[in-house]
Amino acid sequence: MIKSIGIVGAGTMGSGIAEVAALAGIATVLTDTSEPTLTAARERIAQSIKRAVGKKRVSASEAEEANARITLTPSLADLTACDLVVEAIIEDEQVKRDLFRQLDRMLAPHAILGSNTSSLSITALASATQRPDKVVGIHFFNPVPLMKLVEVVQGRHTSNDTALEAFELAQRLGKTAVLCKDTPGFIVNRIARPFYGEALRLLGEGVASAEQIDYIVKTEGGFKMGPFELMDLIGIDVNYAVTKSVYEQFAHEPRFRPHAIQKQMVDAGTLGRKAGRGFFDYAGAGPNPPKAQS
Amino acid sequence: MMEKHIWILGDSPLVEEYTALFVQHEFETRVRINPEGAVSRVPLGARQFVESEQITSAVLELTALSQETKRKNLVLLDDIVPFHIPILSASVTATVAEQASWLKYPSRLIGIGAFPTLLDSGTIELVQSPTTGNPARVAAEQLVAMLEMHVALVEDSVGLVMPRILCSLINEACFALAEQLAEPEDIDTAMKLGTNYPCGPFEWAERIGAKHVLAVMKALHRFYEEDRYRSAPLLQMAALRNMSLRKMNG
Ligand SMILES: NC(=O)c1ccc[n+]([C@@H]2O[C@H](COP(=O)([O-])OP(=O)(O)OC[C@H]3O[C@@H](n4cnc5c(N)ncnc54)[C@H](O)[C@@H]3O)[C@@H](O)[C@H]2O)c1
Repeated sequence: MIKSIGIVGAGTMGSGIAEVAALAGIATVLTDTSEPTLTAARERIAQSIKRAVGKKRVSASEAEEANARITLTPSLADLTACDLVVEAIIEDEQVKRDLFRQLDRMLAPHAILGSNTSSLSITALASATQRPDKVVGIHFFNPVPLMKLVEVVQGRHTSNDTALEAFELAQRLGKTAVLCKDTPGFIVNRIARPFYGEALRLLGEGVASAEQIDYIVKTEGGFKMGPFELMDLIGIDVNYAVTKSVYEQFAHEPRFRPHAIQKQMVDAGTLGRKAGRGFFDYAGAGPNPPKAQS
Repeated sequence: MMEKHIWILGDSPLVEEYTALFVQHEFETRVRINPEGAVSRVPLGARQFVESEQITSAVLELTALSQETKRKNLVLLDDIVPFHIPILSASVTATVAEQASWLKYPSRLIGIGAFPTLLDSGTIELVQSPTTGNPARVAAEQLVAMLEMHVALVEDSVGLVMPRILCSLINEACFALAEQLAEPEDIDTAMKLGTNYPCGPFEWAERIGAKHVLAVMKALHRFYEEDRYRSAPLLQMAALRNMSLRKMNG
């Protein structure tokens, strides 16, 4: 039974994971190499919990207890006593391997090492440690407090016990966990590729405009968002990076080949909502409805 | 306004889906299900299609599985139906341009994105090929409006928009399932919760039918001549054995 959780990386994902862990009654230690990030994380978590109180999902006393359950620290050594440490640091294999090597030396032998990576191989990260059987992917979705899914990724050497513990932990955090094998993109980031890839090809071939494709996908297919709106929301650079990573890891399988339109948009800096412009124009007008680029 | 007479030919379950819609909108509906796809009788509220009776305002050719049958049906219709009557042909598995090349009066042919389950929604894709005349397009738009649905007019291409995206997702899920990435139910759950899809790929496949998904992938592969559209072996096996994809792994 996991009694305490350590989280490395207090950015978007790490602070979200800390929040749901603390709300589930688990002692949580959150660390980051950047002090301002830690301060910002404390504030972000408090605000998010406050909103949950406002929506009556959490009582005032639960909120207070949850905030008190989180220890923020710049020192990795403060995670030594944790039963499980999840890393949510920068998506860089070498940096993550170095971190796992360090944690492996520090932590108790029973402790589990989890990674929130979206695209790196769990098996490769595990090989940096002396406990590959205790390394597991625990892939949350953004925003963590709202998104119900956690992919529990079993690497080549991850033991069934470790996968089960991660699975049960995700459930304790109020999530729906699914177990999957360690392959590029896991489930969601892989199977969703054609949603964007075919939409881009339809656009590139002039079968329909971005606006029309989104309209069809929403009104004919019943999707909440069309592929172009969604790429704009995710960030075209982020979406392109995921596609490239899956493509490369699958040895250039043609089903995953990135589209030139996406690369050109990244080069042009039209990255989607965050840039004010992507497939649609967000400058000036409110976010809805987006106006198509000509 | 167009008279409410319609002829519908093709495969199950598309013929049943469209017939129900036309009958509900008080069309005098005549129907023929292709002999090889005859799993059901003439759908409720419709009458049998009679070749000698030539009164209709439009014809719907909904064959999606066999190119040969589709061609036969279209050539027959081209012969017996007056040349000014528009023919709307399900064009998910063949371009309108290709089908038009079979006809004496190609300008009356317009494509329709008829695909199982997609009729539950409010939008129908229509395909205007360079061969399609404007009168046929206008008539088709009128017909869709009479069904209280919206038109999305797209260019001539195999798979159109929604069937192409949907079938590619299901095909990818089939590759993943064959690799035992995860349980099919978990793949469905992950796509619904992780990226807000209204249905999981296997739930869709269940409703659409593996045969229809495979027909789209085969058509895309034939049209583009690209490996990208190779159909997953698991999908082929499920279609051949008429089995649920969810029961295909392990
Ligand atoms: N953002 C998403 O939508 C999303 C979704 C699922 C998974 N992920 C994955 O989660 C991880 C984190 O993503 P994010 O969006 O939260 O990033 P982020 O940039 O918001 O946060 C990363 C944090 O890690 C810190 N950090 C970097 N190196 C460190 C180190 N060696 N030790 C301690 N702290 C370090 C940084 O200071 C930063 O605060 C990545 O692996 C990413 O692939 C992201």
